[in-house]
Formats: sequence, structure tokens, C-alpha cells
Amino acid sequence: MSILNLIKANLRKGKGTVVSLILLIAAASLLLNVGLTIISSMSSFYEHKVEELSDPHVVMMMEQSDYKQENGDFFRNYDGVTATEVESILVMPSATMRFGDSDLNTALSLLDADTDRKLGPLKLIEKLDSVPDNEAIYLPYSYNRSGGYKLGDSITIAYQDKPYSYKVAGFFESTMLGTNNMGLIKMFLSGAAYEALSAKLGGDARGILISAAMQDMTRSTRILDDYHKVYPLVSEGATAKFHYMADIESMKQVNGLTVNMIAMILVAFAVVIVLAALLVIRFRVSNMIKDSVVNIGVLKALGYTNRQITSSHVGQFLLLSLLAGVIGVELSYLFFPQFGNILSTLTGLLWEQREAVVLNLISILFVMISVTLVALFTSLRVRKLHPVTALRGGLKTHSFKRNYFSLEKARGGLQLLHAGKSIMINSKQNLMITLIMIAVTFASVFSLALYDNIARDKTAFIHLVGAETSNVAVQAKSEAISGKLKAAIDGMDGVQRTAMMDTITTMVDGQSIFAYVSDDFAKLDNQMVYEGRFPKFDNEIAISWAVSKLIDKGIGDTVDVETGGAKHTYLVTGMSQSISNMGQAVYLTASGVQHLIPNYKGLLIQVYLDGMTNTQFITDVKAKYGAMASEVTDVDATIDSQSSIYSTAVAAVMGIVLVITVVVIVLILFMVVRTALLKRRRDFGIMKATGYTTSQLMNQLTFSYMPIMLVGVMIGGALGALCTNGILTVLLSSSGIHNVQFTIKLPMITALCIALVVLAYAVSMTAAYRMKHITPHGLITE
Amino acid sequence: MQNVWLKTEKLCKTFSSGGLQQHVLKNLDIRLMKGDFTVIMGSSGSGKSTLLYALSGMDKPTLGTIHFGDSEISKLNNDKLAIFRRNNCGFVFQQIHLLDNMSVLDNVLASGLLISRNKKETAARAKQLLTEVGLTEETWRKFPSQLSGGEAQRAGIVRALINKPAILFADEPTGALNSAASDSVLDVLTKMNQTGQSIVMVTHDIKTAMRGNRILFLRDGVIRGDMSLGPYQKGHSAERQEQLQDFLSDMRW
Repeated sequence: MSILNLIKANLRKGKGTVVSLILLIAAASLLLNVGLTIISSMSSFYEHKVEELSDPHVVMMMEQSDYKQENGDFFRNYDGVTATEVESILVMPSATMRFGDSDLNTALSLLDADTDRKLGPLKLIEKLDSVPDNEAIYLPYSYNRSGGYKLGDSITIAYQDKPYSYKVAGFFESTMLGTNNMGLIKMFLSGAAYEALSAKLGGDARGILISAAMQDMTRSTRILDDYHKVYPLVSEGATAKFHYMADIESMKQVNGLTVNMIAMILVAFAVVIVLAALLVIRFRVSNMIKDSVVNIGVLKALGYTNRQITSSHVGQFLLLSLLAGVIGVELSYLFFPQFGNILSTLTGLLWEQREAVVLNLISILFVMISVTLVALFTSLRVRKLHPVTALRGGLKTHSFKRNYFSLEKARGGLQLLHAGKSIMINSKQNLMITLIMIAVTFASVFSLALYDNIARDKTAFIHLVGAETSNVAVQAKSEAISGKLKAAIDGMDGVQRTAMMDTITTMVDGQSIFAYVSDDFAKLDNQMVYEGRFPKFDNEIAISWAVSKLIDKGIGDTVDVETGGAKHTYLVTGMSQSISNMGQAVYLTASGVQHLIPNYKGLLIQVYLDGMTNTQFITDVKAKYGAMASEVTDVDATIDSQSSIYSTAVAAVMGIVLVITVVVIVLILFMVVRTALLKRRRDFGIMKATGYTTSQLMNQLTFSYMPIMLVGVMIGGALGALCTNGILTVLLSSSGIHNVQFTIKLPMITALCIALVVLAYAVSMTAAYRMKHITPHGLITE
Repeated sequence: MQNVWLKTEKLCKTFSSGGLQQHVLKNLDIRLMKGDFTVIMGSSGSGKSTLLYALSGMDKPTLGTIHFGDSEISKLNNDKLAIFRRNNCGFVFQQIHLLDNMSVLDNVLASGLLISRNKKETAARAKQLLTEVGLTEETWRKFPSQLSGGEAQRAGIVRALINKPAILFADEPTGALNSAASDSVLDVLTKMNQTGQSIVMVTHDIKTAMRGNRILFLRDGVIRGDMSLGPYQKGHSAERQEQLQDFLSDMRW
């Protein structure tokens, strides 16, 4: 008989196990391939898209009245810039529109679709020619993926209390300002619609867009810093002016953040599945040797070498893992569109599936090598087996040394004590099952915590991003009246408190950094300072962790802040964190900013309501103080719509993780229970002969796994509860986060753990039902 | 007949394999009495083990009935049969079949604690029985793999007796033992029978069969002979052996 025939014979003997193994290995290679592909291609995907779409690497927008020729020249003459364009656009610093299930308030730039441009040309994914030219608007693809818009739909943009309605004539891709993540969205209007809107809005809405492409796009952040060194942005009274800038590296980082986290979770989970598969393979080889020990003896007696016999064992797993690996990788291509959808939702870009042969081979080889090594090491036991020993029934798999859980002395019911004995005897196997349970439970808790904090109660996530979770934000028309408006709002019914919260651009120790300014940081919901405190006095400043690293300053140090040509020194009182602006931010009091801008008052008033709906308050404030406010924003609705893309993606990942957890638990338990039934067939037959019922033995077998499952789930749950924030901190540290404080709800985690244990019990009992077929009569015919 | 423990009527057992049917037991009407040491003999393949397992509720008959006292056990489902076995039957197997992962004492208690909740009392009875069959305290703590064949089978007998069964069933209990170990095991069984324990034993060994007081001879699934002997007494074996050999000659053994 050739080795191939031996392999075939081995495979035929355990069809059920073969199917389960193929499933596990295929699932592992599938996840591995998806995760690796996403991780490896995310960076190149974005760069490829930037190139494909001819998108700019840097954009800057300002009011037309502020623009001077030298602003454009700075970019044109900057070292490494390959192309620049300056064009007129329309700007709505605070526009509101439907996005998903809620209203989105965002800054909006409207470009003329008919303008010929080299940088960031309009590249439509789909379009509808039947929309009349004077109504046509082209939206970013994210408005289709996440915003719920379809071709031909109407979209109404509310700006300065006036509605502007259009029909969706197409969706375009853009790596720059194509999602809600950066606070400003880019849309295109057809030439006629653009002209009409321009006429309606007048000169105040006219802006300038400067776009630049660079030889090396990683230098895009640097060019903006250098620009601000030459052109300090804020000057007295300039805080009411619109000014926006963005670079492609920040875009990539913000859009890729969640994608990379998802990919890492997938890869980590693939490794868990591979471990589970390896555990099963170890069982399988071990049992196979035990079951076929006499056959091995016969083969050895006939002259087969150890190598030939071992090869037959290892060979079957090599074949299996090759088959399952290829199936998994092939199946991953079926799943890529689903993951592509998630990525498109997050990035607003079309995910193009490309063949990644090298990664496919890595995925297949990884599972094949792991599986083969385990099979090889386990089957090496055959070498120790002499033909005579094998023919006599073989090696004793156990040499019992201790009588664990003595039935005479140990406390507890009979079935529990039997289970205890079984646990102690199979300690190595149980340790591996415990590790797998820890891993899958941890992954489930981790994804549940993400889901809870990103998709359900979003406060912690929003705080992490750096946004303030007030209910409504009111922008004063001018700084001169902002104090009066704030006091008036404070006196309104249903207002619990108000706080001024604004941003200005500053240079901190020579670095261009956003500064958050408030009259009283203690009134804010988002207490971003994790060490020390927010500034209270005019000579104090808090800096973010990322800024601290950048300028090598900490609490107790002093920093120089410049803006509008003025410079002042502040004492660092606290360290903060947030994802926005690459984690780079500082915090100043309004009185502190007055050292730089003497008449600074701030414009944006955060309103916290109590016992009143946002809609009612917005109606009231517009009615009473509409003349003093340039914009009133429903912050809750904006947060809902802006975070909806994350919610969808995280919910999808949680779904995947939970489904895989269930699959792993089901497969592992089925496998170990079935293996136990096979291995202990004689024992169960004896016990049945002596009067044990099927249900007693089913419980006995199940109880022998439940403590392991329970311990694994408890440890995994505890680790999930304790380490989720730590792991997220590590994952997000490159984004400026130092200390993630997601809410970990113990009752929810407990419920999940209980559900996993109940599932494990149900699966064990179902798998153990085969006990019914073991009869004492089988002992006679053995 | 109040002394009848087990009664079969038209007991049949048929095995099917690959479309072929093998009628192993054919219309057996048997009555087993309380206190008897019944030996079932027959050549290999005659159906004696099949009969033993059917009588003990380990296997279900294809046709016919088996009554234990007033209850018909042939109609019980598997779990009820298990409960019947734990309450009424003890088993001694040719291959001994002790549980490898337990000490001798735990093997006995694994059966004993099935029907008793009193650990102390059950353990005391187990130890007493183990002592009675000649197993020392040191042996109780050993695992089956550390025992000799005779020791293991005696432990098997104690396991079978721990629940004070109405009938002790033994399938070739000395089949895997050497001569000295066989004698010690048979002595234990004889001693138990002399204290009133009903025993049904399958064997094809004359020396072993001599311990019984009733011999049933089975051939081709049918009881061909039924012989009664006096109680076994050591020292009278020659005469008893001759009697048995005559019977077996008549049966064309």
C-alpha cells in the first residue's frame, strides 16, 4: 500500500472530523487573508486612490476677501510642490442636511462641476443624466454608502435659515473631503446651479480653494505648518472668518483608523481560529494513533518504516490544510465585497478587489505549516511504538498516578466527581481549550465594548474624538455680541448651563497647533485632560499628549503661544488627549487668549439642556435671538449622523466576531465531546452496564467541560473588562490617544459571558447525546 | 413459584448484519431460582453470552419476554433498564472492565454511590467486601493497571456486589486469568453463593462450571440440557466432575 493509500484510508475513517477541520482551517485562512489584505492594502489603497483620482495633497480654503496672490504663490513656490490650483468656490461654514437618520451640521464647500481642474477633478462613480442642470448636485460617495441618498433623490441644504434644494445627479469619489470625518464636506453643483446659488448667497459665501500636489505626499502636513509660520492665521476679530485646511496624511490617518482597527481584530481572530484548529488536529492525530495502534503494529511488522507511517498521518493533514486553506482563501473573495462595503462606508471610496497572490499564499502557507507541524509533533509518538507493543494494543496513553477527586472523600455529587476526575486527567487538553475560550471571550467582550461605546452610547467615543457633547451649539454673529447672547441663553427655560467653546489656530513653541478656547472648561462635558487639569487662569494652558511629545514639554513647563503676530508665555497645567487633528491640540482660557487677541470673546456657545428637546430650544432661540445668532446647530443630531458610519462598521465587526465565537465554541465542543465519546467508549459502556443512565453520563461528560469553559469565559471576560481600554490606548496611541476611557458595562459583559456558558452547555449536551448509542452490549462485541 | 427470580418466555434474539439474519436465541423458556448458582454452558457461538446479556437487561430481546419478579424488563427503555440493572444486577466481565482512571476503591464506589447517598456507609461496605475477597488496603488505592488479573477480577466482583444485587451475572469470569487466579475468583463466587447470593455464570470451562448447582447447556440458541447438582463442596470434586462430564457427553460436548 502506498502512502497515498494510507492517507486515503485515514481520511475515510473520520469523515465528521475531516469536515469540522476543513471548516475551522478554512475559516482561519479566510479571516487571515481578509485581515492581511486589508492591513497591507489600506495604505497603498489610499495612496493609489489619491493618484488615481488626481486628488490634491493639501487644500486650503478661505474667504475670497482674505485671499491674496501671495497665499497661492506660497504653495506654488514651496519646495516639492508639483502642481497647484486656485479656484473660486462657495462656502457654507455651517450647513445642515439629512444624513442617514438624522440631521448633519457641517461646513460645506460647493464647487462648480463644469470647471476644468487638474487637481481633484470630478470623478463620478454613478450619475443620472435626467436631472435638470439647474438642480443637479453631485455628492461624495459616502452620502450614498452612509447617508442613504440615491440617484434622483432630493437633498435640502439649510444655510442661514434658508433651504436650498437640489436633486442628486451623481456620486463622486474623493480622498480629500469626501467624508464627514474632517469637519468639512466637498460637493459639486452643475454650472447653472452653481451660478444661481452664487447669485443668491452673494459675496459673503464666496471663497477660494487652494489645492496643491506634492512629490512626496508625506510632507503634506509640513507644508501647512510652514504656511502658518509665514501667515499667522488669527488676528484681532478674525475668529469669525472662515478658514479651513487639510492635508492628505491626516485624511488617510482619520479615514484609515477604524479600518486598521477592524483589520487587526480580524487577523487576531484568525490566529485564535488557527489555534482552535491546531488543538483539534492534535486530538485527531492523537486519537488516530490510539485507534489504529494495532494497524500500526501490523504495518510495522510488514516492514513499513516510521517515516512512512508518520508521513501518512502528517500527509492527510497537509492535504486537508491545503484544501481548506485554498477554500478559505477562495471564500475570502466572496466576503471581500462585504468587507469592501464596510471600507467604502468608512472611507467614502470604492474598494477595488485586486488579486493579492502573495498574501493568499502567505495565508495558505501559514495555516498549512502550523497544521503540519502540530500533526508532525503529535505523530512522532509512532516512533516509540514497537511492532509487538502495537500488536498487543499499544502504549498506555495515561499512566495514572493520582486518584483525583476520590469518590470516598471528595465532596460533591457523583457525576460532578466523575467530571472532576476527567478534568484532571485531560489537563493539557483542557488548558488549551481554556486558552481558546479566553481568546474568543476576550475578542467578544472587546468587540461588544467597542459596539457599546461607538454604536450605542457614543459619549466616550465622541469625547475620544475630541468633540464636545453639548445638546445645541449657537454661533454668535460677532464677538461683540457673543457675551450678551450667552447671558441671554443662560436665562432661557430648559437651559441647564452654557459654555463658550471655540477654536483658533496658534503656533505653540513654533508648531502649528489648534487651540480650544473656553471661558470655563469645568462646564464642558468632555473632560479630555487625563493628567493635571484644564487651565483656569489667563496664564495657564493644557496641552495634548501628542503636543507634549512634539515639543518635549510637560506639566509645570512653560510654552510660547503665538497668533496674529502676538506672543505670550503660558504654564502647562494639564495633559489631554483626542483623535482629532492627529491628537495635536492645546487648551486656553478666553481670558488667556486675550493676551494674544485683546478683544477676543469667542463665538461658539455650547448649550446644555435639561427637560427640553433640542428642536424646541432651537425654535425658541431662533425666535428670540435669531438676529444675534449666525447659526444654531443640533449637536446631538450632528453627532448621530457623523458617527453613523462608525456605528455601522463596528456593528458589522461585532457581528462577525460574535458569529465566529459561536462557531468556534460549537466546533471545538463538538470535536472534544465526540472525541471523548470515542476515546471513552469503553468506560461509558462499563458505566452503563453498572446502571448509569444516558442522561447521567451526558451530564457527567458535559460537566467535565463546563468548569473549563466557565474558567475560560470568566478569565476572557475579566481580561476584556480590564484590558479593552489598555489595548485601545495602544492601538490609538499613534492617533494621539494616551488613555482610553471607554465605558465597560459589567452587567452587559456578564450577560455575554453567561450566554457563552449557556451556549457551551447546550452544545456539549447536544454533542453528548450520541452517548445514547453507546450500549453495555458494545462491551461484549468489542 | 415464589422462588423464581427470572423467567423468560419464547425469548428470541436475532442479529442482522449486511442483510443476513442470525438467530442466536430461539424461543427460550427459562426459569432461574433464587439462591441458585446457575451455569450456562455451550460451545463457542452457541449464544450463551447473548443469553446472559439478555437476562441481565444489558441487551433487549428481539422477541419474547423476560420477567424479573413481577416486572417485565424486556419492555423497559434503555434508561429504565439502566436503573433496573443498578438496583438488581451485578456484573463480572471476562475482560474485567474496571475503569482505568480510578483506584480500586473508587471503581467500587462508582457503582455503590449510584444508589446510595451515604458515602461513609457505602465506603465501609466496599472496604468490607474488598477485605472479604482478599484485597488488602494497599490494593484499594491502586489503579487497575497496577493489579494482577486475579486481583482485578476480585475487585470486579466487589463492584458487582456493592449494591447487594438480586442476581450476580458473570461472563467467563476466569477466562482471562491463570489457574491460581481463577481458583481464587471462583472461591469468592462460591462463598458469595453460599451466603445466599444468586449467580448466573457463563463458562465453557468444566472446572469453572463445577461450582454451579444448575447447569444449562445451550446449543444453536436452544437449551439442550438442564442438570441440577448438589451444593459445591471442596474435596468432592472428582465425583462432581464425573457427573458433569457425563452430562456434557450426553450433550455431545
